[in-house]
Amino acid sequence: MKHRQYKNPVGVGKYTGLLLISPFIAGFILFTLYPFVCSFVLGMTDYRSAGEPKFIGLENYKTMLSSENFRKALGVTLKYAAILVPLKLIVSLLTALLLNLEIKGIGFFRTAFYIPSILGANLAVVIMWQYLFTADGLVNQFLELFGASPVSWYGNPDASIYIIILLRLWEFGSTMIIFLAALRDIPRELYDAAKVDGCGCIRSFFSITLPQIKKVIFINLILQTISALQEFNAPYMITGGGPLRSTYTVGMLIYDEMFKYSEAGYANAVSWVLFAVIALAVGLMYLVTGRRERDRS
Amino acid sequence: MKKIISLITAFCCMAVFTACKKKNDRAITPADGKLDKCTLRFSWWGDDERHKATLEAIELWNSIHPEIEIISEYGGWDGWTEKVSSQMSGGTEPDIIQINYDWLATLSPDGDSFYNLNDLSKQLDLSGFDKEILSFGEVDGKLNAVTVSVTGRGLFYNSDVYENLGAEFPQTWDELISLGDIFSQNGIYPLDLDIQSGGTAWYLAIVYVQQITGRDFISMDGKLGFTADDIRMALDFYKKLEDHGVIRTIQTRTDEDGNAALYQSPEFIEGNVAGVLEWGSSVGKYEAVLPEGALKTGPFLTTEDGTSSGWMIKPSMLYAVSGNTEYPDEAAAFINFLLNNSECARILGTTRGIPASRYAHESLEQNGLLTGLAYESDSMLDNLDTVTISPYMELPRMKEFYNTAIEQVSYDLCDTKTAADEMYTSVSEYLDRLK
Repeated sequence: MKHRQYKNPVGVGKYTGLLLISPFIAGFILFTLYPFVCSFVLGMTDYRSAGEPKFIGLENYKTMLSSENFRKALGVTLKYAAILVPLKLIVSLLTALLLNLEIKGIGFFRTAFYIPSILGANLAVVIMWQYLFTADGLVNQFLELFGASPVSWYGNPDASIYIIILLRLWEFGSTMIIFLAALRDIPRELYDAAKVDGCGCIRSFFSITLPQIKKVIFINLILQTISALQEFNAPYMITGGGPLRSTYTVGMLIYDEMFKYSEAGYANAVSWVLFAVIALAVGLMYLVTGRRERDRS
Repeated sequence: MKKIISLITAFCCMAVFTACKKKNDRAITPADGKLDKCTLRFSWWGDDERHKATLEAIELWNSIHPEIEIISEYGGWDGWTEKVSSQMSGGTEPDIIQINYDWLATLSPDGDSFYNLNDLSKQLDLSGFDKEILSFGEVDGKLNAVTVSVTGRGLFYNSDVYENLGAEFPQTWDELISLGDIFSQNGIYPLDLDIQSGGTAWYLAIVYVQQITGRDFISMDGKLGFTADDIRMALDFYKKLEDHGVIRTIQTRTDEDGNAALYQSPEFIEGNVAGVLEWGSSVGKYEAVLPEGALKTGPFLTTEDGTSSGWMIKPSMLYAVSGNTEYPDEAAAFINFLLNNSECARILGTTRGIPASRYAHESLEQNGLLTGLAYESDSMLDNLDTVTISPYMELPRMKEFYNTAIEQVSYDLCDTKTAADEMYTSVSEYLDRLK
């Protein structure tokens, strides 16, 4: 078979493509690949801020395995992600369903629900959380109205993680917007046909809505899992990781080892383990959903 | 494709090792004794009062030396250590740095990260400093930093609350514990101790044990002076303070204040917590949130027989010149201005504690500025048989060990013996590792 040659009408050569993407490639090498490789190499050194890196092989990883602090931080991070991610997806999806209704002034509600997402865990939010969850805070006052005993939100190691989860749950706007966009893409005819066949709201949701947005659910699941496993800002600002390290995530451990204790080698090794945990979690999700797809086809 | 990936990876590895090597090749700019036109970066931490005074002092410098521009970099204490240590790691630190005492051990363990200020004597006059005070900034025989002021933690009380309850400031440890019993009947605490960045809980406990045993917690060269039993005594003392209502338990404190510092806490501002253990140089922020004149200096606690030793002092902060600076003479001249210039001393007042420089001290005396809580507290400390804090005592990792033990005891997770044994092992191993 004759190989057909296409001549470029503007006269550019075969390296034009490479030339055009070279700014991205250069940026990728400098700002992603270089730090990535650097981090791996540093993870195998004993490197404190005031000294030279000393190659110690896998010593940092061995230290990590025997470290109570690391095990606890990993446990807290996994627990946090396991509770937050499903809750956030459910709340976002339910809110998106409500905001998908064609009612007057819906634009206002869509904006209002998105606002918490742009606040993050900044100082204003920290102060607001203190007003809400400290001993005499609004939440405890509210509980007392119903005769319930006040909860030690900040001081009880079993409760403190929930105020961090609640903060991130409250910031469900981005996930909700993605769901809303997907919901609006579902053809109305499907619902109309289902209605003619006598299908109710709940059956429509499970038989039409969920299958139609399953890819978006998967994307949100992946994004939220990654973000939850990397959590740093909220516990750092709200609880400082306490009490008794009950909100001390791997992200905080990396930060403290790097900047507080100046153990750059160990901090980089921990960040690689976190990377592996995230890769494993995402890989498992792809594996499970991929297998289901294959079973169906 | 494989070739491209191999090339990129090889490039990255080369870059890593080149970057690591570069740090070794750093050249120190020699002093030439002249002042050239340049721009210098100066960083410090502190409260608003300190920021305002320092910026005013820099304005004065600019009017005297318009050819040497100073760029200010300042902020609060929280997160400041992390900021400076990351700058030092990357070699992007400012030319002149206000440093904390323990940073000498972590950031310049061999004395090479900061400029040897003995080499800058043409611009920096050190004749106004005692030899002992200068020795605080020495590492491996090199003068890495100059002490700005010497301070110690003192006890400060909300006098309005004490007067309302008809109570006197405590003189002895036993009186402090009895106060807890009286105050707790009114739901008030006579003192507050924390395990946050200040770490006052462990501090007061070791003052008590040092006073009883006469042994220093950690020596200046980083040897642990306490036995496991001494640590246990300190933890028992801390627990006793909680049990008698002298201080809030960690759970109560966290529930009431969240992650906020005490001076931002409604409990302190409203007088439900009526005392604080704080550095004389930093007490201003507590004074500012209470009614004028309410916060007063209390006596340093003693044993029943009047033994007052065990209280500690340290350089509250020091000025250092980066080893990477291209303008060592100019940086030294600026430090000299901050430390010794009489007009600058008047502007800065006691915002960095009572100056260690004799010239600055005289200027404050002449201007009638040696007043206030910082001065009262430091003057009282001058009359005690104080212990100089080892720079190893305040290392962040050490604070983690203290706080873990205190937290476990406060939450009743283990007895004081177990917590003390664990802490003794952790501290000993860490100090050995640093050598």
